Amino acid sequence: MRYLILFKALLKQEFILMRRYLFNTIVSLIGIYIIFLLIFFGAHALGGGAPEFGATLDAIVVGFLVWTFALFAYSDLAHGMVREAQEGTLEQLYMSPVGFTWVSLFRIVSRFWVMLTFNIMLLVLMMATTGRWLHLDVVSLLPLIVLTLAGVHGMAFATGGLALVFKRVESFIGILQFAVVGLIAAPVGRFPLLRYLPLAEGNRLIRRVMAEGLSIFELPATDLLFLLANSVLWFGLGFLAFKLLVNVARDRGLLGHY
Amino acid sequence: MTEPVLEVRNLTKVYRQRRGEDVVAVDDIGFIIKKNEVVGLLGPNGAGKTTTIKCICTLIRPTSGSIRINGTDAQRNTRIALRHVAAVLEGNRNIYWRLSVRENLEFFAGLQGIRSGRVRSYIDELIEMFQLKEKERTDARNLSRGMQQKLAVACALVKKTEVLLLDEPTLGLDVETSHELRFALKEMARRGERTIILSSHDMSVVQDICERVIIVNNGKIVTDDQVANLLRLFQASAYRFEIEGRLSKQQERQLEERFEMLKISETDHHTEIEAQLEDGNRIYEVMDILKAGDSRIRSIARKEPNLEEIFLNIVKGGKN
Ligand SMILES: Nc1ncnc2c1ncn2[C@@H]1O[C@H](COP(=O)(O)OP(=O)(O)OP(=O)(O)O)[C@@H](O)[C@H]1O
Ligand SMILES: [Mg+2]
Repeated sequence: MRYLILFKALLKQEFILMRRYLFNTIVSLIGIYIIFLLIFFGAHALGGGAPEFGATLDAIVVGFLVWTFALFAYSDLAHGMVREAQEGTLEQLYMSPVGFTWVSLFRIVSRFWVMLTFNIMLLVLMMATTGRWLHLDVVSLLPLIVLTLAGVHGMAFATGGLALVFKRVESFIGILQFAVVGLIAAPVGRFPLLRYLPLAEGNRLIRRVMAEGLSIFELPATDLLFLLANSVLWFGLGFLAFKLLVNVARDRGLLGHY
Repeated sequence: MTEPVLEVRNLTKVYRQRRGEDVVAVDDIGFIIKKNEVVGLLGPNGAGKTTTIKCICTLIRPTSGSIRINGTDAQRNTRIALRHVAAVLEGNRNIYWRLSVRENLEFFAGLQGIRSGRVRSYIDELIEMFQLKEKERTDARNLSRGMQQKLAVACALVKKTEVLLLDEPTLGLDVETSHELRFALKEMARRGERTIILSSHDMSVVQDICERVIIVNNGKIVTDDQVANLLRLFQASAYRFEIEGRLSKQQERQLEERFEMLKISETDHHTEIEAQLEDGNRIYEVMDILKAGDSRIRSIARKEPNLEEIFLNIVKGGKN
């Protein structure tokens, strides 16, 4: 019961903040949309003639979608943690008798729905402008997105934890956001080793669903299992590192120390 | 009334430094606090108050020692222990600045695992008690510093824990809001519903609110007693002598050698001597010294003590 109550409290907080800061969110969405337009029409102008170019454009839309997802997930979590440490509320979260682990997990789950709403809006906008209507098979996409983001959250937890202990890592978070782009654009086909990193494999499978119109049941089971293992591993490692680092911070008296 | 709610035993915290010497912030501290006691943790800057409080609410991992809250070991069964303790930490950083007063209160109830329906009327009561009714829907960041602090205390209270830890709750508040907050805390102490530990380096706050005081300095407990006892003890032994003219150098030296906490102040025509005399008979020692130098004594009186002087005295005594 306590778990449910905690989850509801966190979810409610997200929605209150979303409503109250709707304007800010919309402004950043427009910013992202403009970047998208530049990339899309840039690519269009460069390679518009080639017959297989449609597929590339689809890939750009999907890649962009996954990127915004990953970016929001990553920076929300890592930056959010640093900010709460600075503002002092992280210590209050830590003192929840339901447990800090659950607070952290519920927080990302409740953020996910807010993020999903905005990303769907962005996607519709992108598809409308480009005229490329992709397959929105929700049953196939949702699990793929969740798994893909799990790996990203693992990275965010680890860097957030690092920032609690080593305050200078904070500036590093901004840089890592762009590393995420690299992972999405990673040519997994040519360098299979890249599959072992977070995000790359998930992005590839999401593209197959959205651009090629496959359902999740038509994807190779080995690929799905690989994604599952990859996500669980990255998330697990990241979260473990986070818990370890929080304890280091507790040891040094740094949980709310800025 | 006598069951211990908080037991701190041999608590030590050493901050390891990569460069320079390790800092021993808390050095083998121990105390037991009973249900509904209101205890002040008094000490100068750097005494180890914050570290002690954060160890109790598990935000800092002690180097050694044990902490039991309502009988639960705080290090082994952290989550169970945390059901019984809420804390307002130093500074104005315990609430969400972008949530309103009521939203903050509801959120912190939820964080504690309490359904909002079950605390709705209590939230109303808290808003009333801390005079936040008009600001109920205002974002915390737009409140005055004093109101933010009141909200922070209310957010700790809404968790309905037995133990409430307050680290420097009146620090940085202007006189008026500080008094308002003190009034609310006193009211709570009077009702006897919570066990409160309040840290401060301001003795008047402790004297005002707490019945018992633990004085810490350099990470160690120097005194642990009822405030009333301390005041009485010092009242019995603090004397003020007034003499005509001035003391000779020799008299001054003799007095300084033999009495602690001596204060000598001279004006044009007379001199005031304040001294702490553990034994009433020592008055005669002072008089002997004064007489030997032919000083004329105008008056001898008992001095009204305040916690501030007691504190300074004890802390100075604790250092050497
Ligand atoms: N995270 C930390 N790392 C290293 N040393 C620390 C840390 N926190 C506190 N200290 C040191 O430990 C000692 C006790 O600090 P603490 O904050 O507990 O004292 P305090 O009584 O709360 O003081 P204040 O009145 O200034 O708040 C001080 O010497 C302080 O410099
Ligand atoms: Mg302090």
